Amino acid sequence: MSVLGAEAEVLRRQLRRFMEEYPDIRVVQRETPDAADQRHQLYVQWLNAGAGDPDILQLDVVWTPEFAAAGWILPLDRFAPDTGAFFPTTISANRWGDSLFALPWFVDVGMLYWRTDLMASPPTTFEALVRSAHSAKQRQGLRHGLVWQGARYEGLVTTFLEYLGGHGGRIMEEGRVVVASAAGRQALREMRSEIHESGIVPTAALTWHEEETRFAFQNGESAFMRNWPYAYGLMQDSSQSRVAGRFAVAPMPATRDGTPTAALGGAQLAINRNTEHPEAAWRVIDYLTRPEQMLERARVVGQFPTRAAVYDDPQLAAALSIPPAQARRVIEHAVARPVTPIYTQLSDILQVHLHRALTRQREPAAALAEAQAEMQRLLNRVGLGVEGRSARR
Amino acid sequence: MRGADPIRGVERQEARLAWGMVLPAIGTILLVALFPLAWTAWESVHLHDLRMPWLGRPFIGAANYVEALGDPRFWGALGHTAFFAVTSVGLELILGLGLALAMNRAFRGRGLVRAAILVPWAIPTVVAGLLWRFMFAGEGGIVNQTLLDLGLLREPLVWFIEAETAWVPVILADVWKTTPFVALLLLAGLQNIDASLYEAARIDGASAWGQFRHVTLPLLKPAILVALIFRTLDAFRVFDLIYALTGGGPGTSTEPIALYTFNALLQNLRFGYGSALSVIVFAITFSLALIYIRLLGGELTGGKR
Repeated sequence: MSVLGAEAEVLRRQLRRFMEEYPDIRVVQRETPDAADQRHQLYVQWLNAGAGDPDILQLDVVWTPEFAAAGWILPLDRFAPDTGAFFPTTISANRWGDSLFALPWFVDVGMLYWRTDLMASPPTTFEALVRSAHSAKQRQGLRHGLVWQGARYEGLVTTFLEYLGGHGGRIMEEGRVVVASAAGRQALREMRSEIHESGIVPTAALTWHEEETRFAFQNGESAFMRNWPYAYGLMQDSSQSRVAGRFAVAPMPATRDGTPTAALGGAQLAINRNTEHPEAAWRVIDYLTRPEQMLERARVVGQFPTRAAVYDDPQLAAALSIPPAQARRVIEHAVARPVTPIYTQLSDILQVHLHRALTRQREPAAALAEAQAEMQRLLNRVGLGVEGRSARR
Repeated sequence: MRGADPIRGVERQEARLAWGMVLPAIGTILLVALFPLAWTAWESVHLHDLRMPWLGRPFIGAANYVEALGDPRFWGALGHTAFFAVTSVGLELILGLGLALAMNRAFRGRGLVRAAILVPWAIPTVVAGLLWRFMFAGEGGIVNQTLLDLGLLREPLVWFIEAETAWVPVILADVWKTTPFVALLLLAGLQNIDASLYEAARIDGASAWGQFRHVTLPLLKPAILVALIFRTLDAFRVFDLIYALTGGGPGTSTEPIALYTFNALLQNLRFGYGSALSVIVFAITFSLALIYIRLLGGELTGGKR
């Protein structure tokens, strides 16, 4: 079993309890690199070599189809998991072909952080967002109106995905790349004009990851921020945050043609195809995804449970720093990134073209058209495009 | 005829001994240099995507190379690499020569200066890259602050979001880091020049420029060429500095060929395509090395032209 260092302590406790319940199963934790890219590389090397160890893998949500298509992880259907209890998007993101390949462990969603001391309610449209960001800059003298992750990396794609959904667009539909749609162009133009026209987003955001945006927001320099739930608890700590108690979260804005959208992230648990102990591995996964364990994770590391019913449990309100109702509202608007084995390569292409458009090296329409053509070419080449799809599965 | 035989026998014996003695070296070279190279070449004519095991590992001939040649990002990366190599090596050579000439004079504390100048060279490249990134990053970065204080900038510049400005820290960092290396190489060359030549030149009434032009430069040529070989080949393989500084951005406008290859090989795990890119990079650097060696002629090996 492999897991991230920061959350290792909770997991250690939970596994100890598990082993008391199942004395015949021994579970060992293994540390893996913190950075997703490096963890991914390590996994691929292990699995390619046919290693049976670790038996259980913690997967990023976009890796499940890749590992499933490669035949590296076991379908979970024979264990009859209670899929109905989980948020539907988190389940469908873990399906490949007709099978479920991983069980969602905790969920991450992109949200709009807003300052409760500067406005009465969060904006629900992009115009309103730009307007109040602008007035916060003008009237309250804030340095920035809005901050988001604009560096050329995966985070940019998640930000874009939320703008795209807010304009009613999608990246892919049934093996066909459709990102260069009218909605796609509007979404990218919106992002670009926030930087270069209305100026509510600083140009420096084009080099920013999650942490830089959090520093700007918690120093009170920005009226809004797009970020993941992890930032909430950290910013309530008044010893390092100037906005403790003065912010809340809401779904990202949308136009009339779109819906408020949150990029879906988070961790899943899957079973190594070469494991010698599939039954025992399943017991561990089943145990770790029980409501009690999810509540404990929420309390200790602030991660959102993937089971909808847990949100009705009053204990969650005490455990999470974010009010569960706010969190649930965002999770129900969560949209998965394209569910395809070559997601990372597609994302790599998209990142480059988005960044070119945002740094004004290319017009948004041209950048998206190029991205779409390149992504589609790649899909077709590996037999995952529209025409190759039926042949494979 | 009869007298030649024993000599030939000795020669043959010596030749055999010589072969025996270089054989381990040849074996090592084959093992550590040629084997990986051959393996890479073999990979490059196969389709091998670690992420898509279902595609198998079929032989696809030159398809990876054809893909590379039709890939605008590949050509872009090649262009960036060439630009980086020419600019940084050019600057390093000019500055390095200046430094070498200065250090070649006798002055107090010369030994200390020579040691101190090596400090940038001793800093690991990734650390140097991050250092320069911090200096240029943010609105309150030291570079922005200094330029604002000097009145050279009206408002802080975000260096890493325009292609033109993103190159500035990249080139500066490389020049800062490797000029000392060039300077020391040239200094060694300068110290090999016989002082009596300058004396003779002075007696003949040559000006300082004349001495530099007609004595120093021609005699320094081998050292300059050696520095050029090392630096150009290094610059063509530049990776860690840019990886730490700009990550190849904005977009891909500072992405060198080595970073693109890394991306294909280790990020996207496309072993076939990545290997084809590696072979292309190898072919380019190897031909550059050949050209330089031809230019150097006998000078490097000390023989006649």
